[in-house]
Amino acid sequence: MKCNRKREPLRVGTVSRSVLACVCIAVVGVAYVWQKNQIYRLGGELKKREDDASAAVKRTTMLTAQLAQLKSPALLESRCQQYGLGLVAPREQQMVRLPEPGPEWDAKILTPASPKTAAANTGKKPVATTTRTAPRTLAKR
Amino acid sequence: MNGSHKTRAMIIVTSLSLLFTALCGRLIQLHVFRHSELSAEASRNREIVVQRHGRRGEIRDCNGYLLANSQSVRLVCADPSITASNNPAAIAAQLSPLLKMDVPALMTKLTGPGKYTRIKPKVDEETAQKIRALKLKGIIFEDQYLRAYPHGALASHVVGFVDGGHKGVQGIESSMNQHLEGVAGYEVIERDRKGREIRALRTEDIEPRDGYHVVLTLDQVIQHIAETELEKAMTEFRPQAGVIIISRPKTGEILAMSCRPTFDLNNAGAASADARRNRCISDVAEPGSTFKIVVCSGALNEKLIRLSDAFNCESGAWLYAGRILHDAHPYGTLTVEQILFKSSNIGAAKIAVLRLGPARLYEYIRRYGFGKKTGVDLPGEVSGIAHPLARWNPLSISRIPMGHEIAATPIQMLCAMNAICNGGKLMKPYLVKRVVDSTGRVIVEAAPQQVGQPISPTTTAAMTVALRRVTTPEGTAPKAAVDGYDAAGKTGTAQKVEGGQYVNKYYSSFIGYLPSENPELSILVSLDDPSGGAYYGGSVSGPVFQRVASKVVEYLGMLPQKTHPRQMVSAR
Repeated sequence: MKCNRKREPLRVGTVSRSVLACVCIAVVGVAYVWQKNQIYRLGGELKKREDDASAAVKRTTMLTAQLAQLKSPALLESRCQQYGLGLVAPREQQMVRLPEPGPEWDAKILTPASPKTAAANTGKKPVATTTRTAPRTLAKR
Repeated sequence: MNGSHKTRAMIIVTSLSLLFTALCGRLIQLHVFRHSELSAEASRNREIVVQRHGRRGEIRDCNGYLLANSQSVRLVCADPSITASNNPAAIAAQLSPLLKMDVPALMTKLTGPGKYTRIKPKVDEETAQKIRALKLKGIIFEDQYLRAYPHGALASHVVGFVDGGHKGVQGIESSMNQHLEGVAGYEVIERDRKGREIRALRTEDIEPRDGYHVVLTLDQVIQHIAETELEKAMTEFRPQAGVIIISRPKTGEILAMSCRPTFDLNNAGAASADARRNRCISDVAEPGSTFKIVVCSGALNEKLIRLSDAFNCESGAWLYAGRILHDAHPYGTLTVEQILFKSSNIGAAKIAVLRLGPARLYEYIRRYGFGKKTGVDLPGEVSGIAHPLARWNPLSISRIPMGHEIAATPIQMLCAMNAICNGGKLMKPYLVKRVVDSTGRVIVEAAPQQVGQPISPTTTAAMTVALRRVTTPEGTAPKAAVDGYDAAGKTGTAQKVEGGQYVNKYYSSFIGYLPSENPELSILVSLDDPSGGAYYGGSVSGPVFQRVASKVVEYLGMLPQKTHPRQMVSAR
C-alpha cells in the first residue's frame, strides 16, 4: 500500500507541550511516590517513637516499684543493722524544738508596724523593713 | 486481504471482544454488585483490631509511697511448627539461661505438637529484649501485666490483691476496683508481610485510659511499726492470731492496720484463706472488759451516775438472776472511776442493772455502732452481734456490760473508743484519702464523716479522767504507760467460746489513746489466745501498745507533755 501522506515538519510548540505534559505527569508521579514514601517513613518513625515511649513507661513503672522496695522501712532498717550504721532516733535531750507560732505571731510578723511609728516608739532612725514569713516548727516531718 | 484473512481477523476480534466483555462483566459484578460484601472481607483480611488495656492504677500511702503498681511483662510463647524445624536444641540452649529453665523442658515445648505453646509467663522487659535480640525463629511475645507489691507482706490485708484477670479480689484492690481499673481502648491497624504494623495505615486509634491512683490514709512507716511490734508479740506470746489498728480519733483515718497471720502479696495464691482474712473487720469476738466503756459512758451521759458514786463490788462474787458473777480480784466498795480503771465486772454490771437498765443500755450499744458495719472502705466487713432487746435473757443485763453476750469486730471497738476520746463524736473509719489521676488531678477526696454522737463532750471528759488511771500503777495496765505522754485506755480479757462453751483461752486486748487531753492517736492491740501463762490484756497487749505508741509518737514528732503540757504538734 502506498503511503500518500505528506511528511510535515515537527512543530516546536507541539513538541514542547508534549514534553511539558510528560514532565508534569512524571513530576506528579514522582511527587506522589515520594509523598507516599514519606508517609510510610514517618509512620515507621512514629511507630518507633511510640514503642520507645511505651518501653520508657514500662521501665519507669518497674523502676518505681524498685525504688519503693529500696525505700521500704523494713529494708532500710535491715541495711542499717547490716552495715552497723548506728542510725537511731534522736533522744529527747538531743532535740531542739522551736515553738510553733500561732495566728497572733503571724499577724505581728506579716503586718509590721510602720517604720515611722516604730522609730517614734524606739527613738531610732527608721530603717527599711522586709516582710518575712513566720518560722514553722521543725518538729513536723 | 482475502476472505480467509478477514474471517480469521473477525474471529480473533470477536474472541477478544467477548473475553474483554466477560472480564468487564466480572469486574462489574465484583466491584458494583458484590462491592460491600467483598470490601468488608478485604478489610477483615487486611485490618486487625488490637485491644489496648489501660494500666491499673497505683495504690500509695498518705505520703505518696508506692504500695502497689502494675508492671508490663511478657509472656514468651513459641510456634513449635517453626521451632521444631529450626534447630530446637540451639534455641533451647540460648533461651535456657535467659528464662532460667532447663534445656529438656524447653525442648519439650519447642518440639511439641500444634502451632502455639506458652514457654514462660511474667518475663520482664529486659529479658524479653535480650531474647528478641537473638532473632530466634518461631519465638513470639505477648503482653501481660503483673501486679507488683514492693513491700511484700506490709499492709497485705488492707492493700489486697488481684486475680489472674487483674481484677481486685481483696482489700482496697477489690473495694476500689472501679477506680483502679482503666478503660480499654483499641486501634485498627494493618500489618505487613512480616506481621509488623504499618503505622501510616492505622485508621482508628482510641487511647486507653489508665486507672486512677488510690491514696490511702495508711502511713507505711507507722504500718511498719505496727507490723514489727505485732510480729514481736507473736513471737513473745505465741497467740493464734493478733491485730493492731492505729487511727486518728478526730478524723477516723486509719494510719495502720496489721493482722497476723499474714501473707506475701506477691504470692497470695500460696497463702491459706485463714492467713488472708482481715481479722480487723471480719472476726467477731466478745470484747470483754473494753466494753465497760459503753455502759459507764452511757450511765454518765444520762447523768445516772457520777465518777465519785460508789458501788459495792461484793468482794468478788455477786449472785444475780441465779448465777454468780465474779471479778478477777475481790473488791469491796469502788467508785465508778475505780470500776473503770480496776475493771470490775460486778461494778459494771451493777451500773447497768441498778442505774442504766436494759433499754438504755441497748440504746447506747446501738448508738456506738455495735451490730452494724462501720463502713470502712474494705470488703468483707461484718456487723458483729448485738442481740435485740427482745432476745435478751434475765442474765444479759449483767453480762453485756462486761463484754459478754455481744460480739464486735476490732474496728468497731476502736471506733467506740475514738468516740470517747473525740468529744463523743462517732467518726466513720476510712482508709481511702483520695483518688487521683495520673496527672495528680483529684477525682475523689474523702473527708472525715461524723456518723453519730453517742455521748456528750462532758461525758467524754469524765471518761478520760477514769481511763487515764488505767495506765497508772493502780490501774490494770501500768505497762501501757508511755514515757512523756499521758495515755488513757482500757484493757480487755475475754474468755473464748468454743463449741458453745467458755474455755480457758482468752482474747487479750488493750485500746488506748494519747495524749489523753487532745488525742492524736488511738491504738488497738488484740491477741487471740496468748500462751505462756500471761493472758490479761494489761500484761499482754498493754506492753505492745506502749512500744507501738512510743515509736509512733517519736516518728510523728509529737511533743512530750512533760515539757510542753498543752502544746501538741499536729502530726503531719
